[in-house]
Parts: sequence; C-alpha cells; structure tokens
Amino acid sequence: MVELSSLLKFEDVSLSFGGITALKNVSFDVKEKSITSIIGPNGAGKTSVFNCISGIYSPDSGNIFFEDANITNMRPNKIAELGIARTFQNIELFENLSVLENILTGVHRRLDYGILSGLFYSSKAKKGELYARKEAEDIIDFLEIEEYRYSYVMSLPYGIQKRVELGRALALAPKLILLDEPAAGMNNEETEDIARFIIDINEELKISVLLVDHDMNMVTDIAHEITVLNFGEKIADGTPNEVIENSSVIEAYVGSSKK
Amino acid sequence: MKDRLDFYNSYKEEHRIFNNRVQRFWAVFGVLISIYTLIILDDVWLFLLTLAMMTTIGAWGLNIVSGFAGQISLAHGAFIGIGTYTAFVLGGNIGSSVLSYGLDMAIWLPLSGIVPMLFGILISPVTSKLKGLNLGLFSIGIVYFVLHIFQNFRTVTGGSGLGRKSPDFVFLGFNFENGITIGNLVLNENNLIALFSLVILILSGFGVKNIARTKTGRAFFSIRDRDIAAEAIGVDLLRYKGIAYAISSFYAGICGALLFTFTGGVEPNQFNFVYSVTFIAIVIIGGAGTVLGPLFGSFFFILMPSVIQEIIHFFGLFEQSSLLNLAQIERLVFGIFIIVFLIFEPRGLWGIWFRLRNYFKAWPFSY
Repeated sequence: MVELSSLLKFEDVSLSFGGITALKNVSFDVKEKSITSIIGPNGAGKTSVFNCISGIYSPDSGNIFFEDANITNMRPNKIAELGIARTFQNIELFENLSVLENILTGVHRRLDYGILSGLFYSSKAKKGELYARKEAEDIIDFLEIEEYRYSYVMSLPYGIQKRVELGRALALAPKLILLDEPAAGMNNEETEDIARFIIDINEELKISVLLVDHDMNMVTDIAHEITVLNFGEKIADGTPNEVIENSSVIEAYVGSSKK
Repeated sequence: MKDRLDFYNSYKEEHRIFNNRVQRFWAVFGVLISIYTLIILDDVWLFLLTLAMMTTIGAWGLNIVSGFAGQISLAHGAFIGIGTYTAFVLGGNIGSSVLSYGLDMAIWLPLSGIVPMLFGILISPVTSKLKGLNLGLFSIGIVYFVLHIFQNFRTVTGGSGLGRKSPDFVFLGFNFENGITIGNLVLNENNLIALFSLVILILSGFGVKNIARTKTGRAFFSIRDRDIAAEAIGVDLLRYKGIAYAISSFYAGICGALLFTFTGGVEPNQFNFVYSVTFIAIVIIGGAGTVLGPLFGSFFFILMPSVIQEIIHFFGLFEQSSLLNLAQIERLVFGIFIIVFLIFEPRGLWGIWFRLRNYFKAWPFSY
C-alpha cells in the first residue's frame, strides 16, 4: 500500500477545564482519503477532540494542522471555510427550517454573491441560488431523503434527522468530515444504513472521515485506522485488528484480570 | 399534470416569488384593489391605511433582526427616531428655528435609511457579541441614551415638549400638495402620499422576501436556531449579526421618515421605550420570522382600534356608561386581543392565514 500523506495532524494537544483534564498530550493523524476513528469509554475526551478541531474550544497547548494551515486558534467559520465539516452528537439542526433549507444553508460558504445582490435578487444571486439548489438536490439524492425534502426537521424521525445533519455537513463540500456518534441511538438496520453512507462518502465522494462512535462492530468494520482514548490520554492506535488485540484497550473497556 | 399548481419543470420556476398561477393572480389583484382603494378613499380610513403601510416597513425591519436573526432588539424605536430626524434636518423648511436644509425627498428619504444603518453598524461590535437577555438589556440602554440626546439636542429636535414640524413631500421637484388631475379623476395630497407609500411598501416587501430566500436569510435563520452549528458550517456570526442590524435599521429609518413626515411633526418623547415595545407587539401579533406577518400585524394594530370603536358606536354600547369611556374600552379590547393571540395562536395572524390558505387549497378535502 502506498503511504498516504496526512490531511489533519493533531500534535501534542492538551485541554483542561479548571481542574479537569479533558485531553493530555494527544497526538494522531488523519490520512488523506481514509476513515479514521476515535473510540474510548465515556468521558474519554472524544468530543473534546472534535471541538478542538472545529474551533469551538481552543487547546491549552499543542497544535492542530489541516493540510498546511495551523488551525489551532482559528474561528470555527474560518475552519469550515478551509474544508472541515462536522455533525454533532446531539442533533443541532435548524429546527424551524425544512430539510431542503437546512441543506441549502450548508452550501453557504460556496456562494459568493454579496448581500446587495441577494437583496435585489440579481442575476448573480439567481445563478448562485440555482447552483445551491442543484448541489442540495444531489445530496438529497445521495442520502435518499427525497420524500422529506419539504418537511420541517422537527417532525422527522431521529434516524432521518441524523441523515439530514450528515447532508448539511456534506453540503459544505468538505475535504474532511467529522462525525460525532452518527449511529448513536439507532437500531441495527439504521446503523447499517449509516455505515453504508459513511463508506460511500469516503469512496465515492473522496472525503476523509474522522469518526467517533460507541458501536465497536461498525467502527472495526469500516475504519482504516483507530485511535483509542481513555481519560484524555491516547492509549493505543493502529489498524482495527491491532487495536482490539491491544491489552490496554481491553483493560480500558472490560477491566484487567490481573490482581 | 400541467394543471397541478405545485408541479414545476425547473428549479428556476419554483424559485420565483409567485410561483404558480393562483399566486400571480392574487398578487396582481391585490395590488390593483389597493390602488383603487387608495384612490377613491379620502377620509380617516385613508389616513389609517397610509399609517399602516408606513408602520409595516418599520415592523419588517424589526422582524429582520429579531424574527429572522433571533437577536432581541428593544431599541427599534431609537433607530426609527434617528431616521426621522435625519429626514427632518435634511428636508425641513429653511427659515425655521431648528436646523433645516430644505432638500428634496429623493435625497432625504434614502439618507434617512442610511444614517440609522451606519449607527447600527457602529454599535454592532457590541451587539454582535451579546446574546439573549444581555442583548435585550443593552438595547434598552440604547433607547434611553438616544432619547436623552433627542430631548436635549434642541437645534435638531426642537427639544422635549416642543418638537418640530415635518418637511413637505416634495419628490423630484414635485410637491404632493398640488395634487394631480387625470381627466375627471382628482388625486389630492393624501391620495398621492398613500400611493407613494404603497410603492415603497411593495419595494420593501420584495427586499424582505429576497433576504428570506437567499443565503443572507438562511444565515440569519441558522444563527437564530443554532448559533454554534451555524458557525461550524461557515457562517461568520459577527458579520451576519451586524448585517441584520444594518438592514433592520435601514428599514426603521425609512419607516420613521415617512411616518412622521406624514403626521406633520414629532416630539422627542415619542421615541420612548414604549414605542419600541409597540413594534415588538406588532411583530408578535403578526407572526415573527415570517415575511407577511409584520404586514398583517401592522394593519391589525393600526386599524383594529378604529374598527372596535366603529362597532361600539354601531351597537350603541357603553354610550351612557360613566365607568369607562370609549377610548378606554377600545384599549381594553385591544389588550385582550393581544393576550388571546399569545395564548392561542403563537404563530400570529400569519398562522391563521396559513391555515386558512391550506384549507382552501385542499378544499373540498380535509387535507
């Protein structure tokens, strides 16, 4: 296999809230065109990693590089503009908007017409809107949510809402997509659907995926590389097979047999 | 298939404001009826309709910042005041004791929107960083700050208790006072002002609708619903909150300039805290966050008191009563209306309209 270059570098990052250490010198890489997963027991710091990458928290020390840019203390919207999209653990959709409008909102960063041409709906704005609609419809097709296009997101089932949120992130046309527990609270069938979408996103749309989830079966099936966190520290990394054989991972999840 | 109203052949067709035959028919019909009404009327109802149209523009302004972008603003009256005095200073008749330049309406009307807009941009570094109750409190501060300046800046405002007279409606050299005669149709000043406001109203309405259907509006909605998620998809919060304030203040300024030029004069205490709250009431009654809501709200707010009075007169109720006079009853009934709305129809008049429309769309089926 060819050695792929890193898309995202997480270097020695530490983060604490008052006396609580959320992350302690955590380092890992996300390779281009890969599916990388972060796993760990509750409170291991997985979501903190995501919040550091997407700029919601700024780390106390360490650096985060995306491609060649240092994104450690950038504002979230600048990071999104570089091409990092994310979903949230608890769905953060715009609840008063329809599915279509939610996904159109995701296209925001790719529309370059100004406020005034929007106000007068100039030909530039019109062209932009038609382009946005086309992009949004492609994503709706891709995620198979055509029938919900005009539905308000609050009226939809949880599994569909998760899919819409994925759609909104895809609408940014990102290089890297961060998925925070995409399969949480789903039954087996829905989990399979989501897993299939993640693989399609990676293989068809050529987007790198960084994934946090508790569903070990899904993660070991689809991830190329796994990083394991426990109490804010990295305890293991490697391919799925290496990680599930690792003794410290077993200890973190099921406890040690030694006295 | 062709006869189905919701059948579109292209996204372009669907993206139109009036995207089917029925809507286009009602839009044209509505405009024609309005023009006809504003031409034949010449009494207190024409006065009230004109006020309602002008108030709508201000309510749309508040709706953009509070209804669309979700930023509480209790300072809307202050922005209206700044627009009003810009118009009065630039357009006021030369020779009066207060500062006046006697310019044409084609100059003072746009500027009376731009000056409050600049003020909105000036305070936006602060307003953009605040949220919720803190923002509300800050905006109350703005009201009292601006009110104090209005009360004491006598060369501009005439000072507290005195006020100043409004400029005349002189548009591109044509004074509305002269009226127009077309054949045997005589349009006096009031008809002309009403028609002029209708034009401004329709232009402002298209502006609001265009904001709502383009990326600016979606950025506002995203900030209102989930600001963290909005930022994570690339919406610059500070920038868009500032833009919301700027556009809102522009509408406020235009509203003030027209409204008080029409009523003939203004006294600084007009722009007090209650005045700002009135606009919040209008937006809530109409339906916050919708395009047509503020229009319904303004017409309801301006016309309803007179309708209630007419009804009281018609039935001869309370004529002898010494307990409450007519004006008090009218206020009381109006207050009850507001309470009933908040409890039973949170989406406002727009919500009622929406349900009625859907009922007739599906008629004779129930859904």
